[in-house]
Amino acid sequence: MIVGIGISKQIDISSALQEAFWQAKIQLKDKEPTLCFLFSSPEFAGLSILKNIHIYLPHIPIVGVSTFGIIFDSHIYRHSLAVCLIHSENLKISVAKVNDIRKKDAFMAGRELGINLLKDFKGEKRNFAMVFSDGLLEEGTKLLLGLQEILGASFPLLGGSASDNLKFKQTYLYFNEELLTDAVVGILFGGKIVFNLSSRHGWKPLGKSRTVTKSKGNIAQEIDGQPAVNLYKDYFGKDTLLLKKDLKYISTLYPLGIYLEGEEEYLLRNILSIEDDGSLICQGDIPEGSAVRLMIGTKDSCISATQQAAEELTTESIISPAITKKINIVFIFNSVSRYVLLRRLAENELMAVQTTIKNNLLDKSPYKNLNIPIIGFYTYGEYAPLKALHYQGRTHFHNQSVVLTAIGE
Amino acid sequence: MEKIKELNSYVAHLKKSLDEIDEQAKLILRTDIELNKTQEELDKKITALYALQRISREISKTLDETKIFAQIQESHLEDIGFEKALGFLWSEKNKRFNPVLNIGYSEKETEFIASQLENNLYLKLMANIETISSFSLTDKQLNEKIKNLFKVNSFIIAPILPKDGSQGFLFVGTEMTDTLLSAGNEELINILANQISQALENARLFEKIWQAQQELERKVEERTIQLSSALEEIKLISKRKSDFVSAVSHELRTPLTSIKGYASILLSEKLGQLPSAVKERLEKINRHSDELSRLVNDLLDISRIESGKVTMKQEIINLKEILEEIKDLMNVQLKEKNIEFSYELSAEAEYVFADRQQLNRVFINLVGNAIKFTPPEGKIFIKTHSLENKMCQIDVSDTGIGIPQESIKAIFDEFYRVDNPINQRVKGTGLGLSLVKRIVEAHGGNIWVKSKLNEGSTFSFTLPKP
Repeated sequence: MIVGIGISKQIDISSALQEAFWQAKIQLKDKEPTLCFLFSSPEFAGLSILKNIHIYLPHIPIVGVSTFGIIFDSHIYRHSLAVCLIHSENLKISVAKVNDIRKKDAFMAGRELGINLLKDFKGEKRNFAMVFSDGLLEEGTKLLLGLQEILGASFPLLGGSASDNLKFKQTYLYFNEELLTDAVVGILFGGKIVFNLSSRHGWKPLGKSRTVTKSKGNIAQEIDGQPAVNLYKDYFGKDTLLLKKDLKYISTLYPLGIYLEGEEEYLLRNILSIEDDGSLICQGDIPEGSAVRLMIGTKDSCISATQQAAEELTTESIISPAITKKINIVFIFNSVSRYVLLRRLAENELMAVQTTIKNNLLDKSPYKNLNIPIIGFYTYGEYAPLKALHYQGRTHFHNQSVVLTAIGE
Repeated sequence: MEKIKELNSYVAHLKKSLDEIDEQAKLILRTDIELNKTQEELDKKITALYALQRISREISKTLDETKIFAQIQESHLEDIGFEKALGFLWSEKNKRFNPVLNIGYSEKETEFIASQLENNLYLKLMANIETISSFSLTDKQLNEKIKNLFKVNSFIIAPILPKDGSQGFLFVGTEMTDTLLSAGNEELINILANQISQALENARLFEKIWQAQQELERKVEERTIQLSSALEEIKLISKRKSDFVSAVSHELRTPLTSIKGYASILLSEKLGQLPSAVKERLEKINRHSDELSRLVNDLLDISRIESGKVTMKQEIINLKEILEEIKDLMNVQLKEKNIEFSYELSAEAEYVFADRQQLNRVFINLVGNAIKFTPPEGKIFIKTHSLENKMCQIDVSDTGIGIPQESIKAIFDEFYRVDNPINQRVKGTGLGLSLVKRIVEAHGGNIWVKSKLNEGSTFSFTLPKP
């Protein structure tokens, strides 16, 4: 496997694409790419970006997202465009998309994506799937359930949702020559490759544990027999009106945490909106009967969680026995909430990843003098399996998390 | 039973502790959110200051007025906390504000806003050097009007007031509803507007200086062309003159030789005895032909030296030898007028590097002139001294009638003769000093004269030392 990555801050689309593409292409030497990732700021999102890249890569699958910020090595690039090209003879891939999710129901859309992904994959060894979805999609969990029904409940799924410039108005997905919204794009990875993944957030529980007494999908109606919003009212000493005003802020910094038995960390749920009856609309499922707590994140806990995730990624495990000797690229799908919390320290988190990779892999054989490119983007929601054996690695929809993926051969 | 009671009380205690901890959690959360908000504000301010610094650095480097506004980019603006910006400069000619910067607006929207601006309002702001914002503006109606026109929820407008040329204002705004503006933001935009003013001033000043310099260069070039074409013309004329003189002299010499030849044959009386009157006339013819041929030779020499046809055959010459020869040569004339001839050679200037024959002519002419214009019982004195740059100076002084000041400049010109009684009486070609000057210059030297009427003259010239 050979990987090339390129980035450009040029304002003009075609010159930005040209710069980023050739940076990446040169690293492939004279090998033809098997797969192309395209990440861009939302202002680049338009059909012309796809037409332009199609000129360079007429027969190669192109997948990507619009994003608040591109992660490139240990830096954050805003108002930029990045291209990642992968060449591999052993890699087997299949790409698929499903749109009009709101019309179709998220669960059915997930199933459709799974079926489309498997179409060209008969008899091949399936390793994992990468999923990119519209950042404003509310039912990430249902989408996953549909996908898992086709690919298997514990089949590793990972990825993130697209984002915009924190306006939460419109996010985009790239799929070959199509610019998509209200959609999901998947890449099924197979063949003789190795991979590893890890995911963390670093938010800690605070106060008493409470029980979700009434809920429906991603709507928490009652907690401890009271309207769910009372939990926030109580803790912050604010009425509903004030809470609504500060909601984006409060939800980012103090999400709900669902207790999962055997897991080190809680599963986080951002609050998207407060209903008039006091229900909380969450980004992701919040099952009835689950124990929830209010969560608090600090800059320190956030960065050390990322550090831990990077350690896990670069350590051999059951699913990745050879990973420490064969990594070619690391993807980061990072929650925009972490950027909001860390602000000027946001790159410190990325440097922690780079330093860990350097210490654990690059300074040892057989990586001596080699480089492992790191690329990714900021998300409005993340997909990653949980580690506990009890959950059989089942993938969940997360908030405020960092998802690291290493691929190699 | 006792045990259960004990456990119950323990549970109650635990529950109480838990509730207390939950209360503490509330305190922590409320403090934490305040802390986070403050920190975020601080972060935004620091980011904004960094962005301002970056913009300032860029625009202060820009000396092209049209590029100053282009230095303000969307990413900078976002760091300052806004996503929309417009810049306008007032055009006195068109009586309207011309857009010079637009971020977050299409060309069409910008044009629309420009056409809807209430000029008087903004001109008044500029005149009062006043910054207004949605946060500080007390006139609610005006506040809403501006918000509606620019389609924003918060805004700041700051005047751009460079000292020279057109002035205007900077507008920044955001659609976000959760952006809280403060006096600090206003101050920041004010600083930015001032920076732009400063940059505009610099650019305009630079433009002026540059224009002036261009104008000057153009003039110098024009004059140079004029001068060089004049010089070319003069060179051409001078060459034509030399060519003419040279051609004419050649043509004159041939018949002159035969006239002189025939006159000599007749005078020798080989063709028969001549009456004394005829003989007298023939002798005059002979003498005048001699003069004429000297004149022609001198002319030829001048034109040859001038056109570079004669090269100086330079050698080391002992000045003493030359001067002794001259003394012998001029002895008869010196004796005739009883003129004292003497010289003094400095030890460092005894030898020169010159063409012997030409140097002889120089001395013959200069000493000849001195004798001619010095009354009887006078003195001629020659002395030398060494100069820096490997040259030596030779001065030929006399106690003659001197040269009037107005003639000194022209004395080395061809055919120039000083108007004085001697010249009226004694014939001369007016070519002698001209020839001397050319010979000296052909050696790389200079010649000049100092003179006082009725006291004497000193001709000084320089020649290279060996």
